[in-house]
Amino acid sequence: MAEASTGVSGGRLRFILSEMKPRGRWLTPFNVISIPVIIVGLVILWFRFTQGLGSVTNLSQAFPWGFWIGFDVVTGVAFAGGAYVITFVVYVMKEEKYRPIVRVTVLNGFLAYLFYAGALVLDLGRPWHIVNPIIGNSFGYNSVLFLVAWHFLLYMIAEAIEFSPAVAEWLGARKARRLLHAMTLAAVIFGITLSMLHQSGLGALFLLAKAKIHPLWYTEFIPILFFVSSIFAGLSMIIFEGTISEKVLKEYLGDKAGGHDNLVFGLAKGAAIAMFVYYFFKLLVFLHEGHWSELDTPWGWWFLVEVLGLVLLPCILYAFGARHRSLGIIKVAAVLTLIGIVVNRLNISVIAFNWQAPVHYIPSWQEIVVTLMIIFLEIWVFRWVVTRMPVYPGTNNRPAPAIDSD
Amino acid sequence: METYTYVNIFETKGLEYLLLICFLVLFIFFVRYLNAADKPS
Amino acid sequence: MDRRNFLKTAGVACAAATGARSARAQEHDTDPEEFVGVLVDTTRCIGCRSCEIGCALAHNLPVPDVQDDGALEAVRTTSETSWTVVNRFETDSGEVFVKKQCMHCWQPACTAACLTNAMAKTARGPVTWDGDKCMGCRFCMVSCPFDIPKFEYDEWNPRIQKCNLCNERLERGEKPACVASCPTDALMFGTKRELMEIARTRIYAHPERYVHQIYGEFEAGGTGWLYLSAVPFEQIGFRTDLGVTPYPEYTRDFLYAVPVVFFGMPALLYGLNLLAARTEAVRGAPNGAEHVPSPENPSTSE
Repeated sequence: MAEASTGVSGGRLRFILSEMKPRGRWLTPFNVISIPVIIVGLVILWFRFTQGLGSVTNLSQAFPWGFWIGFDVVTGVAFAGGAYVITFVVYVMKEEKYRPIVRVTVLNGFLAYLFYAGALVLDLGRPWHIVNPIIGNSFGYNSVLFLVAWHFLLYMIAEAIEFSPAVAEWLGARKARRLLHAMTLAAVIFGITLSMLHQSGLGALFLLAKAKIHPLWYTEFIPILFFVSSIFAGLSMIIFEGTISEKVLKEYLGDKAGGHDNLVFGLAKGAAIAMFVYYFFKLLVFLHEGHWSELDTPWGWWFLVEVLGLVLLPCILYAFGARHRSLGIIKVAAVLTLIGIVVNRLNISVIAFNWQAPVHYIPSWQEIVVTLMIIFLEIWVFRWVVTRMPVYPGTNNRPAPAIDSD
Repeated sequence: METYTYVNIFETKGLEYLLLICFLVLFIFFVRYLNAADKPS
Repeated sequence: MDRRNFLKTAGVACAAATGARSARAQEHDTDPEEFVGVLVDTTRCIGCRSCEIGCALAHNLPVPDVQDDGALEAVRTTSETSWTVVNRFETDSGEVFVKKQCMHCWQPACTAACLTNAMAKTARGPVTWDGDKCMGCRFCMVSCPFDIPKFEYDEWNPRIQKCNLCNERLERGEKPACVASCPTDALMFGTKRELMEIARTRIYAHPERYVHQIYGEFEAGGTGWLYLSAVPFEQIGFRTDLGVTPYPEYTRDFLYAVPVVFFGMPALLYGLNLLAARTEAVRGAPNGAEHVPSPENPSTSE
């Protein structure tokens, strides 16, 4: 087709509208579960915004940050770390082997930031002031949170640029695609740098909570530990998510989403090495702090569960699975690793936070429903995008009005 | 008060360096173990 | 110690010993750049809770019923409706009453945590909160080693509530409301320098009456509120494990590293990219082709 510039805009609008329509079966198990959850979640949010955070959450003066921060934001961002790892491998190191999963990983990362970091807004007491640290009337640059907020914003822009060629292809905008494609490397390099800093920055937030976090978890190395663990958290999420979408999206993707076994072994190897290093980081911190007497307390046992059961064990499983080419073992390792990341992030932000408090915070059911709502919404958007835009290689989701293959 | 007694903040450095050496040795074995999979079995 | 300082200390010592108010410590035309604070002598506090009333009246908070001693049964914390509370502790040397409120740290954790500068340290010393800036993230609450900022969880438009050292009264040249309403001189307002002299003098003059420590001199880098006590501070509800490092120091290295990483990483990544491109060219791979090499392809290293 010739040119997509002038008379096409009307056609493009009609195309977008037609793409908005749902496709496929409606009564899938996922829809049946997610739709009620989303509705209940919206009702909860109505109470939250009219009657205050206290009406739906178990947050208290002693526990100002709960599940929405500890899980949605802190853990969600760690899970989204795969995007910067894969873009590093493919765009910077030019390891073409991983190109087939670049787009889906970047899309996942972008949506994770949009929804999970976006969940921060629900937790803010005065969210209408969220622009204050952005537009410049009150820059609190002395704050780690200022840095993290800015980095979230900038990284979302970088990831949007990284993903935008797919959108341009979907819309058949060739010129735009060429321009956006040219910006990719710059966006990638900028994005990796930002990721390093805000992944560790999320940990650096808790440096100020020295008086409150259990000594087994508090260390000046928290930022570095957060950064290193985001590498294997991201890789594990790619493996986990790939396994799921391979099954669920079969009707759209055929065999195209699968068949990446070799990629998975490579990812597993990378995760194994990152976890090996991380495990020794943990040992080093423990030796340096020297809280030997804390080990034989319930907190110490819990610490050992995290470090031995959810770091060392999956590390060994990854290595074993990569060596013996066993996808099953790698999947088990991925799930264990993800649980380990959840446990680690929640330990620092919620569980071992204010550990001496007489009454400890436990999330309310409303907090959990809202979290599920956010996850489901993200999956809805993800599903919409991958069934329409060229995210997976080789899938021809749609005939675009004016696209040239290039 | 602890501010009036000598505190050696580098007390654990010896152990830390031992750990470092262990790490380097183990890392070699670990990487060798992992890369053995590269040869098609 | 030079003669001038000696005379000053001695003069203050006499004043303190006779129970007279130190004229210097009550002056308000102090250098605006010099931080002010309050000295709490817990051996003088009788637990009348007049300070709680004074505070509530000054800030339009619910006025507590001080006739009801039941409030003293359990140790209370400050809350979103009471910026200061007096607690009773049973100790080895009998009942001790301790007032609790924001410590007005020299280098506060909350202001270092605040990303909108809503929490700010004024030039005179009070740590204040600005509702037009705050976005309610509660990072100040997470970071405060004394657990002071309190949040209105049951409001759609919540505020952070905490003692502001009566900043608005200080600007009018008045003393904080709690100090003004204290009938026993347990509270004394002044610059920290003067308050430290008075506190030390009391300890020197009556070494048997006080533990030889002034809480707030160094804790968390030093605070505006200072405490004298007859019993060890951990027995009257103080944390003595906070260390002497100012809290902002804990994030200083990280924040310093940010520009360093930004200087280095993009260049490093770009360099790696050039190297990778060169390796590819040497290997003769088709440039920019979106192909997947066969799995048996050797990786970039050996």
